[in-house]
Amino acid sequence: MAESLPGPGGGLLDGYEPARGFDEAFEPDGSARGAYRRIVERFGELDSGELRRLERLVADEFRRQGITFTVYSDEEGTERIWPMDLFPRLIAAAEWDELDRGLTQRVTALNCFLEDLYAGEGAAIADGVVPRWLVVSSGGFERNAMGIPAPHGARCNVAGIDVVRDGDGRHRVLEDNLRNPSGISYVIENRAAMAKACSWLFYDHAAQPVDQYGRMLRSTLESMAPDGRSSPHVVVLTPGIFNSAYFEHAFLARSMGVELVEGRDLVVDDGTVYARTIEGLIAVDVIYRRVDDSFLDPVAFRPDSMLGVPGLLGALRAGTVTVCNAIGNGAADDKAVYPYVPDLIRYYLGDEPIIDNVPTYVMWDPDQRAEALGRLGELVAKPVGGSGGAGVLIGPQADEQELEAARAAIEADPRNWITQETVQLSSLPSFGGERLEPRHVDLRPFVLTGERTEVFPGGLTRVAMRRGSLIVNSSAGGGSKDTWVLAPEYS
Amino acid sequence: MRLDIRYRMHFRYSEPVRESQNEIRVRPRDDETQRVVSFRLTTDPPTRVISAFDYWGTAVCQLGVRTAHTSLELLAETSVDTSARPAPPPEGAVAALSDRGFRSQHFEFLELSQHVAWQTGDGVAERAAAAAQGARSVPELLAAVVAEVRSALRYESGATDIGVPLGALLAGGGGVCQDFAHLAIGMLRSIGVPARYVSGYLFAADETAAADETAAAVSVQTHAWIEAAVPGAGWHPLDPTNGGPVGERHVVIGCGRDYGDVPPVRGVFMGGATAGVEAEVVIGRLPATDPQPETSSRSRPRTLAHGPPATPRPHQQQQQQQ
Repeated sequence: MAESLPGPGGGLLDGYEPARGFDEAFEPDGSARGAYRRIVERFGELDSGELRRLERLVADEFRRQGITFTVYSDEEGTERIWPMDLFPRLIAAAEWDELDRGLTQRVTALNCFLEDLYAGEGAAIADGVVPRWLVVSSGGFERNAMGIPAPHGARCNVAGIDVVRDGDGRHRVLEDNLRNPSGISYVIENRAAMAKACSWLFYDHAAQPVDQYGRMLRSTLESMAPDGRSSPHVVVLTPGIFNSAYFEHAFLARSMGVELVEGRDLVVDDGTVYARTIEGLIAVDVIYRRVDDSFLDPVAFRPDSMLGVPGLLGALRAGTVTVCNAIGNGAADDKAVYPYVPDLIRYYLGDEPIIDNVPTYVMWDPDQRAEALGRLGELVAKPVGGSGGAGVLIGPQADEQELEAARAAIEADPRNWITQETVQLSSLPSFGGERLEPRHVDLRPFVLTGERTEVFPGGLTRVAMRRGSLIVNSSAGGGSKDTWVLAPEYS
Repeated sequence: MRLDIRYRMHFRYSEPVRESQNEIRVRPRDDETQRVVSFRLTTDPPTRVISAFDYWGTAVCQLGVRTAHTSLELLAETSVDTSARPAPPPEGAVAALSDRGFRSQHFEFLELSQHVAWQTGDGVAERAAAAAQGARSVPELLAAVVAEVRSALRYESGATDIGVPLGALLAGGGGVCQDFAHLAIGMLRSIGVPARYVSGYLFAADETAAADETAAAVSVQTHAWIEAAVPGAGWHPLDPTNGGPVGERHVVIGCGRDYGDVPPVRGVFMGGATAGVEAEVVIGRLPATDPQPETSSRSRPRTLAHGPPATPRPHQQQQQQQ
């Protein structure tokens, strides 16, 4: 491959023009922000050939280790090498402190809401904070979870909260993922790959480590054992190798040092869940499940499901086992319930939200709907139950035909659509093959809740691979970045 | 009225099955007009029974048999005291049905559900609207819709399976108590009346007849009827199968959006066997005596065998047919 650019001072950042909106690394005047000063210098010393070489190293490493992700709709083979951009995202200590407090607050309130809804008095509904019909009409509302309390009231043990930064540089929550958020394995693998390929980058930064996730998750899950049992038996329940996140399920089981099981590896007897092992049946205390609610138990949910454990709901009702995350969390991450989260924070915690929502309009409300449909070309429209960007319409990038189709879809089923102001996501330098160019990013931090709620430092930074694109989902061609939370003295 | 109810279900399999898991909804609920004096669910093979209440407030008994078996027998024995239900509310303005708060409160009983689905042109909403025309109060409207259901369907045992769309039910013109209930619920919902499905027992030799039972005991199946929400007056029961009042011979197990929320048995087992089931409800009338304490609904826990897992067999999961 031709090494086209000169050696020292390879000019990778020459002519870098921050995108419209907020650039994470550069001030509007073009100087590097404090936290990024050293990393910008370091990348300034590289040339494109060197960066391409490092990218190949990382890709080879990912390929060797089988670090892939799955695209269901791709006809050419569903496994793809995980894409990581080498320019890392840095989060200064003070900035992280705000995110940490804001996310802890939000997830605490969401757990209060879920426990209130399923195992409490339904106070938020009775007091009119959220309309009852909206909650019970949610596709994620699960009647089978009713009356089953969670230890510590912790129903969302692993949350992935998608955070973006608006044009003014303010953090905002774009959506909550409270069911089975995935991506944490890539956070850890990104760091390992960076440490291997670019160890020199870490010499002058103190980035908080990420390899403790397995220990943190395990201790969170252990704290969820029924009746505070000591040394509980924890397993990871996966739908199996055909699931897009199977790599992550295996990764988590390995990093926690617990068994990875499928539904058929578990059996219920006399209201207790057992794992079938070569030593016989061994009682299970905590199931970290990555199987969707409706597949968990064919007796209580879909009778055709082969992925679950018959009788699991009975064991839950008997209180012999805990399922993490709890069943029915979809009622709280329904995008039509999302607009109420700031009020839920005020209601349960008596505090103002530290991180705001993106301005959102509910389409079941005739006035909001009329207003939004009139200017759909400026807004983002989302189906409430979707994930991975499926069905999302970005108004400013849509043509008239797409807008018309979205209007019709919203009119036909207004309960299940929201619209949001288009957030001009912040940008970061990313390698386009020749030089570093601004690309839009978001951030998915992970929040663990057992006896208490803690935010795992950093999270998954997703990056849009095309200039100007606001689509960061890996299933839609997005990439990722290693994310460093810096120690205070380095910020 | 003190009623003694013995509900026996016997599942037989053509070859051994294992890992059967079941939810049983057969225990009558306690409410203002009925009180369970005793309830007991026993099984053969014996197994632990876990009791809980589901979202709808219905008692659900969870039980399973892990080891290989060719027969599973369940016997639910209930003694229940019933009293006459309050007379139908005289008023209940039709206009109040459109009240926003009323509709939000009963949201789940106004929507389509698994077994209560209708569409424009299949006759459900059209016939309901025609029947309800001119009703001056909600009770009048309820009576008109029940009469319409009874003129649309004739009782025909074995005419349908659960899962027939309401339009097809209307076209077929025959059905059993579940069908009468589902059609009545669909018609009521289609004109904005919240309606729910009731699963229960009826002390009558013939569920289509409203006559008082003179026999000491009857051998029947479970029964189904409906309740409709009357603004300002709560839930009002109606029995579309016989058109008569719902009284002290009706014993409520529980209610839900439709049959799918209160089936007497829902379960699965592993194995390739074909399954047969005999189910029978025997209801007898007893002279009321002093209330006895409710016996435990849990049979004696079995000692757990920690043996090796069962020999691998074809991994076939089947639904328990009720």
